[in-house]
Amino acid sequence: MLIGIGIVGGVVLLAVIVMFNTLVGKRNQVRNIFGTLDAMLKKRWDLIPNLVSTVKGYMQHEKGLFENLTALRSRSEQPMSPSQRVQLDNDLTRTLAAFRVTVENYPNLKASDNVLHLQRTLNELEEQISAARRAYNAAVTDFNNAVQMFPSNILAGMMNFQAETLFEIPETQRQAPTVSLQNNS
Amino acid sequence: MKTLEQFRGYFESNLTPILTELEGQRKKVLQSYGWLALVLLGISVIALLILAVNPMLGPAVIIIPLVIAIIVGAIIGPYLSRDYARRFKTEVLTQIVRFFDPSLEFRPDSTIEQSTYMESKLFPHKPDRFKGEDLVEGKIGATAVRFCEIHTEYKTTRRDNKGHTHTEWHTIFRGLFFQADFNKHFAGSTVVLPDSAEALFGKFGQWLQSFSFGRDQLIKLDDPEFEKLFVVYGTDQIESRYILSPALMQRIVECKAKRNRPIHLSFVGSCVFVAISENRCLFEPKIFSSILDFNTICEYFNDLRLAAEIVEDLNLNTRIWTKQ
Repeated sequence: MLIGIGIVGGVVLLAVIVMFNTLVGKRNQVRNIFGTLDAMLKKRWDLIPNLVSTVKGYMQHEKGLFENLTALRSRSEQPMSPSQRVQLDNDLTRTLAAFRVTVENYPNLKASDNVLHLQRTLNELEEQISAARRAYNAAVTDFNNAVQMFPSNILAGMMNFQAETLFEIPETQRQAPTVSLQNNS
Repeated sequence: MKTLEQFRGYFESNLTPILTELEGQRKKVLQSYGWLALVLLGISVIALLILAVNPMLGPAVIIIPLVIAIIVGAIIGPYLSRDYARRFKTEVLTQIVRFFDPSLEFRPDSTIEQSTYMESKLFPHKPDRFKGEDLVEGKIGATAVRFCEIHTEYKTTRRDNKGHTHTEWHTIFRGLFFQADFNKHFAGSTVVLPDSAEALFGKFGQWLQSFSFGRDQLIKLDDPEFEKLFVVYGTDQIESRYILSPALMQRIVECKAKRNRPIHLSFVGSCVFVAISENRCLFEPKIFSSILDFNTICEYFNDLRLAAEIVEDLNLNTRIWTKQ
Protein backbone atom coordinates (compact mmCIF):
# COMPACT_ATOMS: atom_id res chain seq x y z
CA MET A 1 0.00 0.00 0.00
CA LEU A 2 2.69 2.43 1.08
CA ILE A 3 4.82 1.44 -1.90
CA GLY A 4 1.82 2.14 -4.19
CA ILE A 5 1.32 5.60 -2.71
CA GLY A 6 5.06 6.19 -3.01
CA ILE A 7 5.05 5.25 -6.72
CA VAL A 8 2.00 7.44 -7.47
CA GLY A 9 3.54 10.33 -5.51
CA GLY A 10 6.82 9.89 -7.38
CA VAL A 11 5.09 9.93 -10.78
CA VAL A 12 3.08 13.05 -9.87
CA LEU A 13 6.22 14.82 -8.61
CA LEU A 14 8.08 13.88 -11.80
CA ALA A 15 5.22 15.17 -13.95
CA VAL A 16 5.19 18.46 -12.00
CA ILE A 17 8.95 18.85 -12.46
CA VAL A 18 8.72 18.16 -16.20
CA MET A 19 5.80 20.59 -16.61
CA PHE A 20 7.59 23.28 -14.60
CA ASN A 21 10.77 22.97 -16.65
CA THR A 22 8.82 22.96 -19.92
CA LEU A 23 6.94 26.13 -18.93
CA VAL A 24 10.12 27.94 -17.89
CA GLY A 25 11.90 26.73 -21.05
CA LYS A 26 9.12 28.04 -23.27
CA ARG A 27 9.01 31.39 -21.45
CA ASN A 28 12.78 31.76 -21.83
CA GLN A 29 12.49 30.96 -25.52
CA VAL A 30 9.97 33.82 -25.89
CA ARG A 31 12.30 36.22 -24.06
CA ASN A 32 15.33 35.08 -26.00
CA ILE A 33 13.67 35.62 -29.37
CA PHE A 34 12.28 38.97 -28.24
CA GLY A 35 15.87 40.00 -27.36
CA THR A 36 17.11 39.07 -30.84
CA LEU A 37 14.21 40.90 -32.47
CA ASP A 38 15.07 44.00 -30.46
CA ALA A 39 18.72 43.76 -31.55
CA MET A 40 17.66 43.56 -35.20
CA LEU A 41 15.36 46.56 -34.87
CA LYS A 42 18.26 48.44 -33.27
CA LYS A 43 20.47 47.55 -36.24
CA ARG A 44 17.88 49.10 -38.54
CA TRP A 45 17.88 52.33 -36.51
CA ASP A 46 21.69 52.43 -36.72
CA LEU A 47 21.50 52.30 -40.47
CA ILE A 48 19.58 55.58 -40.77
CA PRO A 49 22.45 58.13 -40.38
CA ASN A 50 24.35 56.18 -43.03
CA LEU A 51 21.35 56.15 -45.33
CA VAL A 52 20.68 59.87 -44.91
CA SER A 53 24.29 60.92 -45.52
CA THR A 54 24.59 58.75 -48.63
CA VAL A 55 21.51 59.92 -50.45
CA LYS A 56 21.00 63.48 -49.23
CA GLY A 57 23.18 65.00 -51.97
CA TYR A 58 21.10 63.40 -54.70
CA MET A 59 17.69 64.10 -53.30
CA GLN A 60 17.55 67.84 -52.70
CA HIS A 61 13.80 67.96 -53.15
CA GLU A 62 12.93 65.33 -50.58
CA LYS A 63 13.74 67.31 -47.46
CA GLY A 64 10.54 66.27 -45.72
CA LEU A 65 11.46 62.60 -45.96
CA PHE A 66 14.90 63.13 -44.42
CA GLU A 67 13.53 65.31 -41.66
CA ASN A 68 11.07 62.55 -40.91
CA LEU A 69 13.78 59.89 -40.76
CA THR A 70 16.08 62.03 -38.58
CA ALA A 71 13.23 62.93 -36.24
CA LEU A 72 12.25 59.27 -35.85
CA ARG A 73 15.84 58.33 -35.12
CA SER A 74 16.25 60.99 -32.40
CA ARG A 75 12.95 59.87 -30.86
CA SER A 76 14.21 56.29 -30.80
CA GLU A 77 17.02 57.29 -28.45
CA GLN A 78 14.62 58.52 -25.77
CA PRO A 79 13.34 56.14 -23.08
CA MET A 80 9.83 54.82 -23.82
CA SER A 81 7.38 52.05 -23.03
CA PRO A 82 7.35 48.83 -25.12
CA SER A 83 4.08 49.78 -26.85
CA GLN A 84 5.50 53.19 -27.80
CA ARG A 85 8.57 51.43 -29.18
CA VAL A 86 6.44 49.12 -31.29
CA GLN A 87 4.58 52.18 -32.61
CA LEU A 88 7.88 53.90 -33.44
CA ASP A 89 9.19 50.81 -35.24
CA ASN A 90 6.03 50.70 -37.30
CA ASP A 91 6.46 54.38 -38.19
CA LEU A 92 9.99 53.65 -39.35
CA THR A 93 8.82 50.73 -41.49
CA ARG A 94 6.32 53.05 -43.19
CA THR A 95 8.84 55.85 -43.74
CA LEU A 96 11.41 53.44 -45.17
CA ALA A 97 8.80 52.06 -47.56
CA ALA A 98 8.08 55.62 -48.73
CA PHE A 99 11.81 56.20 -49.09
CA ARG A 100 12.16 53.18 -51.34
CA VAL A 101 9.36 54.34 -53.60
CA THR A 102 10.96 57.79 -53.84
CA VAL A 103 14.34 56.33 -54.83
CA GLU A 104 12.65 54.94 -57.94
CA ASN A 105 12.25 58.52 -59.23
CA TYR A 106 16.00 59.18 -59.20
CA PRO A 107 17.83 57.19 -61.89
CA ASN A 108 21.25 58.46 -60.70
CA LEU A 109 20.51 57.25 -57.24
CA LYS A 110 19.37 53.84 -58.38
CA ALA A 111 22.66 53.41 -60.24
CA SER A 112 24.84 54.34 -57.27
CA ASP A 113 26.69 51.40 -55.70
CA ASN A 114 26.36 52.85 -52.24
CA VAL A 115 22.61 53.21 -52.52
CA LEU A 116 22.24 49.75 -53.99
CA HIS A 117 24.23 48.30 -51.13
CA LEU A 118 22.14 50.20 -48.60
CA GLN A 119 18.96 48.98 -50.21
CA ARG A 120 20.20 45.40 -50.09
CA THR A 121 21.12 45.80 -46.42
CA LEU A 122 17.67 47.23 -45.72
CA ASN A 123 15.95 44.38 -47.58
CA GLU A 124 17.99 41.88 -45.60
CA LEU A 125 17.20 43.55 -42.28
CA GLU A 126 13.49 43.75 -43.10
CA GLU A 127 13.47 40.05 -43.97
CA GLN A 128 15.36 39.20 -40.77
CA ILE A 129 12.99 41.32 -38.69
CA SER A 130 10.02 39.59 -40.28
CA ALA A 131 11.63 36.19 -39.56
CA ALA A 132 12.22 37.22 -35.94
CA ARG A 133 8.58 38.31 -35.62
CA ARG A 134 7.41 34.96 -36.98
CA ALA A 135 9.76 33.13 -34.62
CA TYR A 136 8.46 35.26 -31.74
CA ASN A 137 4.85 34.45 -32.63
CA ALA A 138 5.66 30.73 -32.86
CA ALA A 139 7.37 30.81 -29.46
CA VAL A 140 4.47 32.77 -27.92
CA THR A 141 1.91 30.33 -29.36
CA ASP A 142 3.87 27.45 -27.90
CA PHE A 143 4.10 29.15 -24.52
CA ASN A 144 0.43 30.20 -24.52
CA ASN A 145 -0.65 26.65 -25.37
CA ALA A 146 1.27 25.40 -22.35
CA VAL A 147 -0.18 28.13 -20.11
CA GLN A 148 -3.77 27.56 -21.22
CA MET A 149 -3.98 23.80 -21.79
CA PHE A 150 -4.77 21.20 -19.17
CA PRO A 151 -2.93 20.07 -17.01
CA SER A 152 -0.03 22.53 -17.31
CA ASN A 153 -2.48 25.45 -16.91
CA ILE A 154 -2.90 24.53 -13.22
CA LEU A 155 0.80 24.89 -12.56
CA ALA A 156 1.00 28.02 -14.75
CA GLY A 157 -1.83 29.56 -12.70
CA MET A 158 -0.04 28.75 -9.46
CA MET A 159 3.17 30.30 -10.77
CA ASN A 160 1.27 33.30 -12.10
CA PHE A 161 2.40 32.77 -15.71
CA GLN A 162 0.33 34.95 -18.04
CA ALA A 163 -0.36 34.33 -21.71
CA GLU A 164 1.76 36.65 -23.89
CA THR A 165 0.38 38.72 -26.78
CA LEU A 166 1.26 37.98 -30.38
CA PHE A 167 2.86 40.52 -32.69
CA GLU A 168 0.14 42.03 -34.81
CA ILE A 169 0.55 43.95 -38.01
CA PRO A 170 -0.87 47.48 -37.61
CA GLU A 171 -3.98 48.25 -39.66
CA THR A 172 -2.12 50.68 -41.95
CA GLN A 173 0.29 47.93 -43.05
CA ARG A 174 -2.45 45.47 -43.87
CA GLN A 175 -3.41 47.58 -46.87
CA ALA A 176 -1.94 46.49 -50.17
CA PRO A 177 1.57 47.96 -50.38
CA THR A 178 2.81 50.07 -53.26
CA VAL A 179 5.16 47.65 -54.91
CA SER A 180 8.34 49.04 -56.42
CA LEU A 181 9.97 46.94 -59.12
CA GLN A 182 13.21 46.70 -57.13
CA ASN A 183 11.51 44.81 -54.38
CA ASN A 184 9.75 41.93 -56.00
CA SER A 185 10.79 38.96 -53.91
CA MET B 1 17.10 27.65 -70.77
CA LYS B 2 15.49 26.27 -73.93
CA THR B 3 11.90 25.19 -74.47
CA LEU B 4 10.71 21.79 -75.66
CA GLU B 5 9.77 23.24 -79.07
CA GLN B 6 13.26 24.66 -79.56
CA PHE B 7 14.65 21.27 -78.59
CA ARG B 8 12.50 19.53 -81.20
CA GLY B 9 14.06 21.74 -83.87
CA TYR B 10 17.55 21.06 -82.55
CA PHE B 11 16.83 17.31 -82.45
CA GLU B 12 15.83 17.27 -86.08
CA SER B 13 18.61 19.46 -87.44
CA ASN B 14 21.64 18.71 -85.23
CA LEU B 15 21.17 15.48 -83.32
CA THR B 16 19.74 13.18 -85.98
CA PRO B 17 23.06 12.47 -87.84
CA ILE B 18 24.91 11.31 -84.73
CA LEU B 19 21.83 9.49 -83.40
CA THR B 20 21.49 7.58 -86.68
CA GLU B 21 25.09 6.42 -86.36
CA LEU B 22 24.60 5.43 -82.72
CA GLU B 23 21.33 3.67 -83.49
CA GLY B 24 23.34 1.12 -85.55
CA GLN B 25 25.61 0.52 -82.58
CA ARG B 26 22.60 0.20 -80.26
CA LYS B 27 21.12 -2.50 -82.51
CA LYS B 28 24.43 -4.41 -82.38
CA VAL B 29 24.41 -4.22 -78.58
CA LEU B 30 20.84 -5.48 -78.58
CA GLN B 31 21.86 -8.32 -80.87
CA SER B 32 24.74 -9.38 -78.60
CA TYR B 33 22.30 -9.23 -75.67
CA GLY B 34 20.13 -11.68 -77.61
CA TRP B 35 23.07 -14.05 -78.15
CA LEU B 36 24.04 -13.83 -74.50
CA ALA B 37 20.47 -14.67 -73.44
CA LEU B 38 20.45 -17.61 -75.85
CA VAL B 39 23.74 -19.03 -74.48
CA LEU B 40 22.53 -18.67 -70.90
CA LEU B 41 19.26 -20.34 -71.81
CA GLY B 42 21.19 -23.16 -73.50
CA ILE B 43 23.26 -23.77 -70.34
CA SER B 44 20.09 -23.93 -68.26
CA VAL B 45 18.44 -26.39 -70.66
CA ILE B 46 21.51 -28.66 -70.62
CA ALA B 47 21.52 -28.58 -66.81
CA LEU B 48 17.82 -29.47 -66.81
CA LEU B 49 18.45 -32.39 -69.18
CA ILE B 50 21.24 -33.69 -66.96
CA LEU B 51 18.86 -33.50 -64.02
CA ALA B 52 16.17 -35.37 -65.97
CA VAL B 53 18.59 -38.17 -66.84
CA ASN B 54 20.15 -38.42 -63.38
CA PRO B 55 17.52 -37.40 -60.81
CA MET B 56 19.94 -38.51 -58.08
CA LEU B 57 22.09 -35.40 -58.63
CA GLY B 58 19.53 -33.16 -56.89
CA PRO B 59 18.49 -29.57 -57.55
CA ALA B 60 22.06 -28.23 -57.06
CA VAL B 61 22.83 -29.21 -60.63
CA ILE B 62 20.29 -26.68 -61.93
CA ILE B 63 20.73 -23.99 -59.25
CA ILE B 64 24.51 -23.72 -59.60
CA PRO B 65 24.58 -23.20 -63.42
CA LEU B 66 21.65 -20.78 -63.12
CA VAL B 67 23.44 -18.67 -60.51
CA ILE B 68 26.61 -18.75 -62.63
CA ALA B 69 24.57 -17.74 -65.69
CA ILE B 70 23.01 -14.78 -63.84
CA ILE B 71 26.39 -13.61 -62.54
CA VAL B 72 28.01 -13.97 -65.98
CA GLY B 73 25.09 -12.07 -67.53
CA ALA B 74 25.38 -9.27 -64.97
CA ILE B 75 29.12 -8.91 -65.67
CA ILE B 76 29.08 -9.29 -69.44
CA GLY B 77 25.87 -7.31 -70.09
CA PRO B 78 27.23 -3.85 -69.11
CA TYR B 79 30.55 -4.73 -70.80
CA LEU B 80 28.75 -5.26 -74.11
CA SER B 81 27.04 -1.87 -73.91
CA ARG B 82 30.02 0.02 -72.45
CA ASP B 83 31.27 1.58 -75.68
CA TYR B 84 27.79 2.51 -76.79
CA ALA B 85 26.99 4.07 -73.40
CA ARG B 86 30.22 6.07 -73.40
CA ARG B 87 29.64 7.41 -76.91
CA PHE B 88 26.01 8.22 -76.15
CA LYS B 89 27.01 10.26 -73.11
CA THR B 90 29.97 12.09 -74.60
CA GLU B 91 28.49 12.70 -78.04
CA VAL B 92 24.77 13.12 -77.39
CA LEU B 93 24.14 14.11 -73.78
CA THR B 94 27.05 16.61 -73.78
CA GLN B 95 25.47 18.30 -76.80
CA ILE B 96 22.00 18.33 -75.24
CA VAL B 97 23.34 19.94 -72.05
CA ARG B 98 25.28 22.56 -74.03
CA PHE B 99 22.24 23.32 -76.16
CA PHE B 100 20.03 23.59 -73.07
CA ASP B 101 22.29 26.22 -71.50
CA PRO B 102 25.76 27.01 -72.94
CA SER B 103 27.04 27.92 -69.48
CA LEU B 104 26.48 24.36 -68.26
CA GLU B 105 28.98 21.54 -68.66
CA PHE B 106 28.30 17.79 -68.59
CA ARG B 107 30.90 15.41 -67.15
CA PRO B 108 29.66 11.79 -67.25
CA ASP B 109 32.40 10.37 -65.00
CA SER B 110 32.34 13.06 -62.31
CA THR B 111 30.15 13.30 -59.25
CA ILE B 112 29.43 15.51 -56.26
CA GLU B 113 31.92 14.37 -53.62
CA GLN B 114 30.91 12.19 -50.68
CA SER B 115 32.18 14.90 -48.30
CA THR B 116 29.74 17.41 -49.84
CA TYR B 117 26.94 14.84 -49.60
CA MET B 118 27.68 14.43 -45.88
CA GLU B 119 28.05 18.21 -45.35
CA SER B 120 24.53 18.70 -46.68
CA LYS B 121 23.23 17.00 -43.49
CA LEU B 122 20.36 15.54 -45.53
CA PHE B 123 21.19 11.90 -44.83
CA PRO B 124 23.20 11.56 -41.62
CA HIS B 125 23.66 7.78 -42.08
CA LYS B 126 27.26 7.31 -43.28
CA PRO B 127 27.14 5.28 -46.50
CA ASP B 128 29.25 2.14 -46.97
CA ARG B 129 28.89 2.41 -50.74
CA PHE B 130 28.74 5.73 -52.57
CA LYS B 131 28.11 5.85 -56.31
CA GLY B 132 27.69 9.00 -58.36
CA GLU B 133 27.92 9.99 -62.02
CA ASP B 134 26.68 12.35 -64.71
CA LEU B 135 27.64 15.66 -63.16
CA VAL B 136 26.23 18.85 -64.67
CA GLU B 137 28.00 21.99 -63.51
CA GLY B 138 27.88 25.71 -64.32
CA LYS B 139 25.81 28.82 -63.81
CA ILE B 140 22.11 29.36 -64.34
CA GLY B 141 21.61 33.14 -64.34
CA ALA B 142 23.46 34.45 -61.28
CA THR B 143 23.43 31.12 -59.48
CA ALA B 144 26.25 28.57 -59.49
CA VAL B 145 24.79 25.03 -59.64
CA ARG B 146 25.95 21.40 -59.66
CA PHE B 147 23.79 18.33 -59.89
CA CYS B 148 24.28 14.63 -60.56
CA GLU B 149 22.83 11.22 -59.96
CA ILE B 150 23.77 9.62 -56.65
CA HIS B 151 23.13 6.22 -55.08
CA THR B 152 24.19 5.65 -51.47
CA GLU B 153 23.83 2.45 -49.47
CA TYR B 154 24.72 1.04 -46.09
CA LYS B 155 25.26 -2.63 -45.35
CA THR B 156 24.15 -4.93 -42.58
CA THR B 157 25.62 -8.34 -41.91
CA ARG B 158 23.91 -11.14 -40.05
CA ARG B 159 24.94 -14.66 -39.20
CA ASP B 160 22.42 -17.46 -39.64
CA ASN B 161 22.19 -20.51 -37.39
CA LYS B 162 24.52 -22.45 -39.67
CA GLY B 163 27.24 -19.87 -39.10
CA HIS B 164 27.08 -18.32 -42.60
CA THR B 165 27.31 -14.54 -42.78
CA HIS B 166 24.91 -12.70 -45.07
CA THR B 167 25.54 -9.15 -46.21
CA GLU B 168 22.58 -7.03 -47.22
CA TRP B 169 22.70 -3.63 -48.89
CA HIS B 170 20.08 -1.01 -48.09
CA THR B 171 19.56 2.16 -50.08
CA ILE B 172 19.86 5.43 -48.15
CA PHE B 173 19.25 7.66 -51.14
CA ARG B 174 18.96 7.19 -54.86
CA GLY B 175 18.13 10.00 -57.23
CA LEU B 176 19.08 13.52 -58.20
CA PHE B 177 21.38 15.43 -55.87
CA PHE B 178 21.44 19.17 -56.49
CA GLN B 179 23.67 21.86 -55.01
CA ALA B 180 23.36 25.62 -55.62
CA ASP B 181 24.61 28.84 -54.19
CA PHE B 182 21.83 30.32 -52.00
CA ASN B 183 20.86 33.98 -52.37
CA LYS B 184 20.94 34.92 -48.67
CA HIS B 185 23.78 34.90 -46.15
CA PHE B 186 23.40 32.59 -43.17
CA ALA B 187 25.66 30.95 -40.60
CA GLY B 188 23.88 27.85 -39.26
CA SER B 189 22.05 25.00 -40.93
CA THR B 190 18.41 24.27 -41.74
CA VAL B 191 17.16 20.89 -42.96
CA VAL B 192 13.74 20.32 -44.58
CA LEU B 193 12.64 16.67 -44.69
CA PRO B 194 9.50 14.90 -45.92
CA ASP B 195 7.12 14.66 -42.98
CA SER B 196 6.18 11.07 -42.36
CA ALA B 197 5.42 11.26 -38.62
CA GLU B 198 2.93 14.14 -38.85
CA ALA B 199 1.24 12.65 -41.90
CA LEU B 200 0.72 9.37 -40.01
CA PHE B 201 0.07 10.50 -36.44
CA GLY B 202 -1.03 14.18 -36.69
CA LYS B 203 -0.38 16.25 -33.56
CA PHE B 204 1.13 13.25 -31.79
CA GLY B 205 3.61 12.99 -34.69
CA GLN B 206 4.60 16.61 -34.20
CA TRP B 207 5.18 15.91 -30.52
CA LEU B 208 7.38 12.95 -31.48
CA GLN B 209 9.33 15.16 -33.87
CA SER B 210 10.14 17.61 -31.08
CA PHE B 211 12.58 15.01 -29.70
CA SER B 212 14.57 15.55 -32.92
CA PHE B 213 16.43 12.18 -32.74
CA GLY B 214 19.92 13.39 -33.55
CA ARG B 215 18.77 16.41 -35.54
CA ASP B 216 18.87 20.09 -34.46
CA GLN B 217 15.93 21.98 -32.95
CA LEU B 218 12.47 21.42 -34.41
CA ILE B 219 11.27 24.55 -36.23
CA LYS B 220 7.48 24.88 -36.29
CA LEU B 221 6.50 27.00 -39.24
CA ASP B 222 3.46 29.11 -39.91
CA ASP B 223 2.40 27.71 -43.28
CA PRO B 224 -0.05 24.84 -42.61
CA GLU B 225 0.25 23.37 -46.12
CA PHE B 226 4.05 23.31 -45.85
CA GLU B 227 3.93 21.93 -42.30
CA LYS B 228 1.78 19.04 -43.44
CA LEU B 229 4.32 17.98 -46.09
CA PHE B 230 7.63 18.76 -44.39
CA VAL B 231 9.39 18.78 -41.05
CA VAL B 232 12.14 21.33 -40.45
CA TYR B 233 15.14 21.15 -38.12
CA GLY B 234 17.57 24.02 -37.68
CA THR B 235 20.33 25.42 -35.51
CA ASP B 236 18.61 28.79 -35.06
CA GLN B 237 14.87 29.49 -34.83
CA ILE B 238 15.13 32.94 -36.41
CA GLU B 239 17.68 32.11 -39.09
CA SER B 240 15.64 29.14 -40.32
CA ARG B 241 12.64 31.43 -40.70
CA TYR B 242 14.81 34.03 -42.42
CA ILE B 243 15.72 31.37 -44.99
CA LEU B 244 12.25 29.84 -45.20
CA SER B 245 10.28 33.00 -45.91
CA PRO B 246 6.52 32.53 -46.51
CA ALA B 247 7.18 32.92 -50.26
CA LEU B 248 9.89 30.25 -50.31
CA MET B 249 7.73 27.80 -48.32
CA GLN B 250 4.99 28.19 -50.91
CA ARG B 251 7.52 27.64 -53.68
CA ILE B 252 8.80 24.46 -52.04
CA VAL B 253 5.23 23.14 -51.79
CA GLU B 254 4.73 23.85 -55.52
CA CYS B 255 8.12 22.31 -56.36
CA LYS B 256 7.06 19.10 -54.60
CA ALA B 257 3.65 19.04 -56.31
CA LYS B 258 5.26 19.52 -59.74
CA ARG B 259 7.63 16.56 -59.32
CA ASN B 260 5.49 14.35 -57.10
CA ARG B 261 8.60 12.69 -55.65
CA PRO B 262 9.97 12.77 -52.09
CA ILE B 263 12.08 15.94 -51.74
CA HIS B 264 14.73 16.70 -49.10
CA LEU B 265 16.23 20.18 -48.81
CA SER B 266 18.96 21.69 -46.68
CA PHE B 267 20.60 25.06 -46.29
CA VAL B 268 24.18 24.67 -45.11
CA GLY B 269 27.37 26.71 -45.59
CA SER B 270 25.83 29.32 -47.94
CA CYS B 271 24.45 26.59 -50.24
CA VAL B 272 21.08 24.99 -50.79
CA PHE B 273 21.02 21.22 -51.32
CA VAL B 274 18.06 19.44 -52.88
CA ALA B 275 17.75 15.65 -53.04
CA ILE B 276 14.92 14.26 -55.16
CA SER B 277 14.43 10.49 -54.80
CA GLU B 278 13.99 8.56 -58.03
CA ASN B 279 13.47 4.86 -58.63
CA ARG B 280 14.85 4.94 -62.17
CA CYS B 281 18.24 5.79 -63.65
CA LEU B 282 18.71 9.34 -64.92
CA PHE B 283 20.86 10.15 -67.95
CA GLU B 284 21.42 6.45 -68.84
CA PRO B 285 21.41 5.48 -72.52
CA LYS B 286 18.42 3.50 -73.74
CA ILE B 287 19.11 0.06 -75.20
CA PHE B 288 15.65 -1.41 -75.63
CA SER B 289 14.00 1.54 -77.41
CA SER B 290 15.00 3.38 -80.55
CA ILE B 291 17.02 6.54 -79.95
CA LEU B 292 15.78 7.97 -83.24
CA ASP B 293 12.40 8.44 -81.60
CA PHE B 294 12.04 12.03 -80.33
CA ASN B 295 10.12 10.89 -77.22
CA THR B 296 13.07 8.75 -76.09
CA ILE B 297 15.56 11.63 -76.34
CA CYS B 298 13.00 14.09 -75.01
CA GLU B 299 13.12 12.27 -71.66
CA TYR B 300 16.75 13.36 -71.14
CA PHE B 301 15.82 16.94 -71.97
CA ASN B 302 12.93 16.86 -69.49
CA ASP B 303 15.10 15.40 -66.71
CA LEU B 304 17.64 18.13 -67.32
CA ARG B 305 14.97 20.81 -67.36
CA LEU B 306 13.37 19.58 -64.13
CA ALA B 307 16.78 19.71 -62.42
CA ALA B 308 17.70 23.15 -63.76
CA GLU B 309 14.25 24.53 -62.96
CA ILE B 310 14.96 24.12 -59.25
CA VAL B 311 16.81 27.46 -59.56
CA GLU B 312 13.67 29.12 -60.87
CA ASP B 313 11.33 27.22 -58.55
CA LEU B 314 13.25 28.37 -55.48
CA ASN B 315 13.75 31.87 -56.92
CA LEU B 316 17.53 31.64 -56.45
CA ASN B 317 18.29 34.25 -59.10
CA THR B 318 16.58 36.99 -57.11
CA ARG B 319 19.52 38.85 -55.64
CA ILE B 320 18.04 41.68 -53.60
CA TRP B 321 19.93 40.93 -50.40
CA THR B 322 23.58 41.72 -49.59
CA LYS B 323 24.75 38.50 -51.21
CA GLN B 324 25.22 39.10 -54.95
